[in-house]
Amino acid sequence: MGFIFANIFFIITLILSASYLILGIFSAMALRRYLRKNSYVKYDSLVLSPLSPKISIIAAAFNESKTIIDNVRTLLSLYYNNFEVILVNDGSTDNTLEEIKEHYELTKVNYYFDYHIPCERIRGVYKSKNPSYNRLIVIDKKNGGKADSLNAGINICQNSLFVSIDADSIIETDSILKLVKPFLEEKERKVIGAGGVIRIVNSCDVERGRIREIHLPGQILPRLQVLEYTRAFLLGRMAWSRLDGLMLISGAMGIFDRETVIKGGGYSIKTVGEDMELVLRMRRRMAEEGVKYEVTYIPDPLCWTQVPSDIKSLQTQRTRWTRGLVESLWTHRKIFFNKTYDRLGLLGYPFWFFFEWLAPLIAFLGFIYSIYLVVTNSINWPFYLLLFLFVYTFAVSVSIWAILFEEITYHKYKKKRDVLKLLSAALLEPFFYPMHTYFAVRGNLEVLRGKKGWGKAVRKGFAKKKKPIHRPLAV
Amino acid sequence: MIRFTLLLILSLLSANVGRAYPSSSVTHDTLKAATFLSGTRDTTEKAKTALHYIFLFKGENQWLNKKNYFEKSLVFVNALIAAIIISITTMIILLVVILLNRKRMEKEEKLHQYLLEKYQSLIINFLFGNASPEEFRSIASDTYRRQVLIDQMVDVSLNLKGDERKKIQSLYKLLSLDKDSIARAYKHRWHKKIKGFRELAFMNIKDANVAIYKALNSTNEILRMEAQIALVRLCDDNPFEFLSHLTSHFSIWEQITLHDLIIQHNIPLPSFQRWLTSPNPTVVTFALRMIREFEQKESEDNIREILIHPDPSVRYLAVQVAGDLDMRSTLETMKHMYKNQEYKICLEIIKSMGKMPDISMMGFLKLVIDKEDDVQLQIEATKAIKNNGEKGVKALVKLMTSEYKNYNIIIKHVLDRRIF
Repeated sequence: MGFIFANIFFIITLILSASYLILGIFSAMALRRYLRKNSYVKYDSLVLSPLSPKISIIAAAFNESKTIIDNVRTLLSLYYNNFEVILVNDGSTDNTLEEIKEHYELTKVNYYFDYHIPCERIRGVYKSKNPSYNRLIVIDKKNGGKADSLNAGINICQNSLFVSIDADSIIETDSILKLVKPFLEEKERKVIGAGGVIRIVNSCDVERGRIREIHLPGQILPRLQVLEYTRAFLLGRMAWSRLDGLMLISGAMGIFDRETVIKGGGYSIKTVGEDMELVLRMRRRMAEEGVKYEVTYIPDPLCWTQVPSDIKSLQTQRTRWTRGLVESLWTHRKIFFNKTYDRLGLLGYPFWFFFEWLAPLIAFLGFIYSIYLVVTNSINWPFYLLLFLFVYTFAVSVSIWAILFEEITYHKYKKKRDVLKLLSAALLEPFFYPMHTYFAVRGNLEVLRGKKGWGKAVRKGFAKKKKPIHRPLAV
Repeated sequence: MIRFTLLLILSLLSANVGRAYPSSSVTHDTLKAATFLSGTRDTTEKAKTALHYIFLFKGENQWLNKKNYFEKSLVFVNALIAAIIISITTMIILLVVILLNRKRMEKEEKLHQYLLEKYQSLIINFLFGNASPEEFRSIASDTYRRQVLIDQMVDVSLNLKGDERKKIQSLYKLLSLDKDSIARAYKHRWHKKIKGFRELAFMNIKDANVAIYKALNSTNEILRMEAQIALVRLCDDNPFEFLSHLTSHFSIWEQITLHDLIIQHNIPLPSFQRWLTSPNPTVVTFALRMIREFEQKESEDNIREILIHPDPSVRYLAVQVAGDLDMRSTLETMKHMYKNQEYKICLEIIKSMGKMPDISMMGFLKLVIDKEDDVQLQIEATKAIKNNGEKGVKALVKLMTSEYKNYNIIIKHVLDRRIF
């Protein structure tokens, strides 16, 4: 019996390792093609073209009075010709609305619209008296959360494509150009959504909603997350996009086909993982209707977000992610190994089920069992260490592989020292695994307890250089 | 990270459970292999035998059933050791690649900068001064340097016209750089071909047109697009002829790129209405867009005909273009087709009616406001009525007092000038 167990565990270990290698290979292929293809792309023609589609950018704001002016300014100055910004004030209890009304000379307009998707009551729609701000629409609504605010924005916007933006991101000026391109290249398959790479802004110099200088985070936790994000975005999602199994477009920034989102019922307010749930629901619907579609991913850095720098905030974020994952997987359990959904059902969903949801639970049991073996002195130390070395070296080499991808693609960290720091973080990272396992188990327990809501994460603000008007973008 | 954790734990579990095996001492075979490995008898043959013992797993091989001091099958242990060695080697190689790549990039950047400055001044000197081609030759000594020179010449040629442009094109040929570009155009790899096409198109060299024509039917969409663009630049007689032979999907991105090319380089315009009858609907949409952008109003009759095109994307665009170009002869057709169209086209019909206000359509538009439930249709129909000037506003005022339906909110929305 013991022999069987030992081999089963080892076989699963090998499957995991093999999945990494396969994803790495697919990702490398996709990246190489994208970069080659992109080296001939002239985005400028899209900026000036009268043929480029009109886009709505929807951002939700809750108690952002200190930063709202800069944030809106940043959004209004994005490098694209044909867009509107819809800012949703989600029932802020501070003077967010007053600040923005005053600065952008807003007045209430007689806006007639449909509640295509249910959302909390919209108290008013504002437009500016100043023609310079005619791209801006502000919605004031009763508090209902991020998903609800985005739904309100979708109800108001009239363009066929909309970009949803997270509350605490710094947007790259050319991000809209890059996001919209997959929709313009659409052929036999309808493009229903697209996402891109999210980078980490901790320790970067930020001024008036723009990044002045990129630095690797000084603290260990954000630095480890740089590694994690690089691996996830450049190795994982790129490969899943190529395999047509992409299940997540980050809530920080993504572009969607409005009609498909409305038909799907908009963002779900019942889950904290509304970004993943939306993609799953859209994909599910398209597959059930027999429509050829695709969810695409571009490896360009689109926006920068602040990540937790202390354990408490990290725990809040990660337990929330786990809850979102469990809720999304449970809601769409029909997809699991269902060939109707093609690769999503046979590859993408099972992968997330086994390796994202189930993995930490098994790992947690493993930790407990290991402790038991140590306490009862029944551990095979030489072999234990050998296996540890196997997993450790494999994990570190995958991380270094991801660093190489970053180096040959976007090369954002210019200093040699930064790369060396990143490499040393790769060596340290495996020792933080137990902490992440704990967060994931805790998230699962929260689901069982029926916990809802986002929890509170403490943000430290952006790094400042000299005298600041440096404010975080937090629309 | 979670997946790594699982990896770690699963492996460790394998070790722990392994304890359940009966512990056995090191066997004779194991010792034999260990002796071989320790290098006491370091002949090639012996080493081969050692490898055979360790890595050739045959059913009868006793090694499969023997245990070593790890208390596991030696095959298993060796596989792990091999995996660890591979991982460490990969780590080291990747590390070296990362560091060397950085160094290479820095070096290349410096050289590139130097060459750019050098070539720029030489080109300016050649065009407006007395620099000779020999000076270029002395610098462009290898493939990399030649490539930088080609890129630079292409960049400069973009901003030149007339004699200067011809002069730089002749220099290109004089330095035999055209041979590099032609060779590239015939390369097997698509990204190299594209580079060749681009260079040839900018330098107006037609010697590789055969290769470019061939790429028009390529399954690679990027290559196909670049071939189209190159041909538009290189064909003097009929630059858009390729549209007549295009059977594949002509994406909006390709259309935007081509439109940009027409604008940027003053490409002579054909009458795009000839492609309104193309069997490829994406070619028809391109023709419609170009008719609108270049205001080819003589196409009105053809556009009226394709309002009933079987492809909805063509119908949608035809309605839009008719409105944009104020083609009033299409109004009646639009009115009649309205009830059989999908929502998107219905909305576009109403918008187009708003763009070409006509009193005779007011009755129809009122009907839309009354009968349709969709807010957007109601708003657009109200806007279309309003666009009829005084008569339209009067009709709206009358509607505001109607008891049949509460039109106030719609009309207020439409009359608010800040909303558009």
